Amino acid sequence: MKRIIWISAFCYFILMGQVPNLNAQEKKTNYGKATDEIFPYDKFAKAYKYHFLTPLEFYGAGREKTAPKDLKEVRIGFLGPLTTSVMVPQGIQMLQGATLAMEEANKKGGYKGLPFKIMAHNDAGLWGAAANEVVKMDDEKVWAFLGSIDDIVSHVALRAALKLEIYMVCTGDPDPTFTETNIPWQCRVISDDRASGYALVNYIHKKKGHKRVAMIRVNGRYGRVGVKEYADAAVRLGYPFVIEERFNDGETDFKSQIERVRKTNPDAILLWGNAKESALVLQQVRAAGLKQPVFGSDRMVSPEFLKIAGPLADGIVTTCQYNPNSTDPKYLAFKANYTKRFNQEPDVFAAHAYDGMSIIIDAIKKVGLNRVLIRDVIAGLKEFQNYPGVTGKIVFDHSWNDVSDIYMAEVRNGKFEFSVAPPMETGQRAVNGKKGTNSYTN
Amino acid sequence: MRIMKITIKTSPMLKSVILAFIILSGLTGNMERVSASGSPKTGKEISKASNQSSPKETSVKAVANDSKPMPVYGRWKNFTTRDGLPSDKAYAVRINGNQVYVGTHDGLAVYENGKWRTYTTKDGLPHNGIVTIDVSEVTGDVWIGTLGGLSRWSGGKFENFTQLNSGMPNDLVYGVCCAGKDVWVATGGGAGHYDTNLKKWEIFTEKNAPMHEPWTYGLSAGDGKIFIAAWGGGVIEYTTSTKKFRDYRDPDGEMEIDLLPNDGPVHDITTGTSWADGKLWVSSYFGLCNYDGTKWKGYFDHDSGLASNFINFIRAEGRVAFMCTDQGLSSTDGTNWVTYKKNDNNADGKAIVTTNGVKKEIPLSPSISHNFIIGVDADKDFIWVATSSGVSRGELLK
Repeated sequence: MKRIIWISAFCYFILMGQVPNLNAQEKKTNYGKATDEIFPYDKFAKAYKYHFLTPLEFYGAGREKTAPKDLKEVRIGFLGPLTTSVMVPQGIQMLQGATLAMEEANKKGGYKGLPFKIMAHNDAGLWGAAANEVVKMDDEKVWAFLGSIDDIVSHVALRAALKLEIYMVCTGDPDPTFTETNIPWQCRVISDDRASGYALVNYIHKKKGHKRVAMIRVNGRYGRVGVKEYADAAVRLGYPFVIEERFNDGETDFKSQIERVRKTNPDAILLWGNAKESALVLQQVRAAGLKQPVFGSDRMVSPEFLKIAGPLADGIVTTCQYNPNSTDPKYLAFKANYTKRFNQEPDVFAAHAYDGMSIIIDAIKKVGLNRVLIRDVIAGLKEFQNYPGVTGKIVFDHSWNDVSDIYMAEVRNGKFEFSVAPPMETGQRAVNGKKGTNSYTN
Repeated sequence: MRIMKITIKTSPMLKSVILAFIILSGLTGNMERVSASGSPKTGKEISKASNQSSPKETSVKAVANDSKPMPVYGRWKNFTTRDGLPSDKAYAVRINGNQVYVGTHDGLAVYENGKWRTYTTKDGLPHNGIVTIDVSEVTGDVWIGTLGGLSRWSGGKFENFTQLNSGMPNDLVYGVCCAGKDVWVATGGGAGHYDTNLKKWEIFTEKNAPMHEPWTYGLSAGDGKIFIAAWGGGVIEYTTSTKKFRDYRDPDGEMEIDLLPNDGPVHDITTGTSWADGKLWVSSYFGLCNYDGTKWKGYFDHDSGLASNFINFIRAEGRVAFMCTDQGLSSTDGTNWVTYKKNDNNADGKAIVTTNGVKKEIPLSPSISHNFIIGVDADKDFIWVATSSGVSRGELLK
């Protein structure tokens, strides 16, 4: 009997060790395509609750509503930086991309003979202002809306979109937390900074084997939130930044930041900012005699960066949300039509806005003029999953984030060349570029 | 049916191990059933289990497992545009003595003596979309947050505050809260504080308060403090006597997980706060939590009686908190739960009572107007609920 008691007690303590986790939720997959070694806390403890494992449904009313019979046009909202912002050139490209998609749809008869019309609103980049613009869109009776580039604006607009129940298709904001709000009234049709960050971590630390990376970033939300996923993943691999320096948009002299970076003697330098400042930092890094490889964020992929950086740009590696050199016939047709219509080549914001607006238009054609049904058909992850956009196949995860291919972009002979970023490798890390066991580095 | 008898020859020691395993499996098995880990049970599964006992309204006593029973509301009456509401889409509800104010997408509706009266921009409101309402205990004024500004309803007139004519942070007011002479608003451009004596606005953003971002979507007052639900910033606590802030963040700092349920707010994206009976209740789109000044406690739909983790609004009255979720109205004292749900195919529904992990159902006929709950208010005998399709009034079952 004593033996039974001892064995029972032993089993009890073994099992009780598990009791605190009995209520915990079972994780089925890693969110954001994260490998186990970079998933938060995964090396130490299982989380009690994992989010974004299944897409949220919208359980509210409104599916029964019918559209007014006296409509003269089908209004779709647009929110982007059109005036009073440093992002105006990008905002105009975005508006042009959306306009092209709409014009093409109208040439094909619009929606049951009614023309589509863009109701354009400026995002001033000021806290809260976007909320007022979404209220105006509600007053204008738009059926869905597209926006924006600025992450602050996009967040504020999204919360208003939930309150007013207007579906928001984001085509320019790569802030991961946009879709991580868990609001079932949005999707993002562009890869986010989580994807960029993981691709860069893979490239810089696993492929190239760098250990000591210095970060120089813009002192704004794009820089702060943008680098977070890179920084977190790098720390989990054992490679925290050796230094993190900041600059402001519009700044032109980076000597003090670069001098502090020099003192840390890094293996590599990572830049995170807009094209102009990134190019100027690169110039001054090289002028200071620093020869380390330089990597950067997606906004470096622009003619402005290449123009300012000149020959120094060669060898720079960054990420891009699509392949601007794609030879896909659909993309080539878009590029030709866009260039003909607007007398300039499309950029990343134009191409993704074209795809986003096309999704809204196709959704309306499928389900008619009802805001909830438009939401349902896009968020249902069936009819619009793997949507064939001009930027490539659009794949949504359970938070409606676009997790399709992200591209590595490398400057060679003054031009960016693009290749699909490989999935993150696991196993032993490469060290200083030398091949390690189970590593794919060359 | 053919039954196979299996005999296994084992050593006494192995028998002991098997016996211990069976006993302990039974223990842990019960715990798993209660917690229903993984995906939440469907309505069908719950109905199946509870249909065996077929409880009726008279089984209200089943709610209590101590001397303080959870209130259960029934005899629901629903109101829509057919009854005089300006819109079926209701955002907010507030009880004020014999009057009930309902904020809808198309105007303010006031219920008094069994009749509805509507107020719109024609009557002086800044916008027809009425999002949030509170009543000043000091002056009796009604403060109304709209899609296009804040309004003070006093002496039969609406006095409007907007970004252009005052120091308001933003015109879309998600939350309004009266605290003595002060009125607080939650907006996407920061939290606003209006001193009605000085007629002066103060704005709190990430620049002068410990907010991760200035996006605020709910607030409440209690214990000499203002509790601001900050989007991405957890809860910001402002002590009115010292004018000092402190924040409460999800300690794991990650959006995709909650590492530990009882270590702080369950998520940094918070949607509402409510303080009552010594407890701060915090809602989010990722679950619920409360804080008694010492300990945090988290609740999710897979480990409690909470209808859904997606909580639009929260209000605590006494020891009971009411959660407006996208799949029903839940109430709890932290241990016991009552969730009200409408059937999908008719006007009836049920109150699902969860006590010590055991669920029972009380049939309701009719039930609440819709399961997508956006606002709630309760007093001694009645509860009013604003939903995605209509407004509901329930009576306390005694």
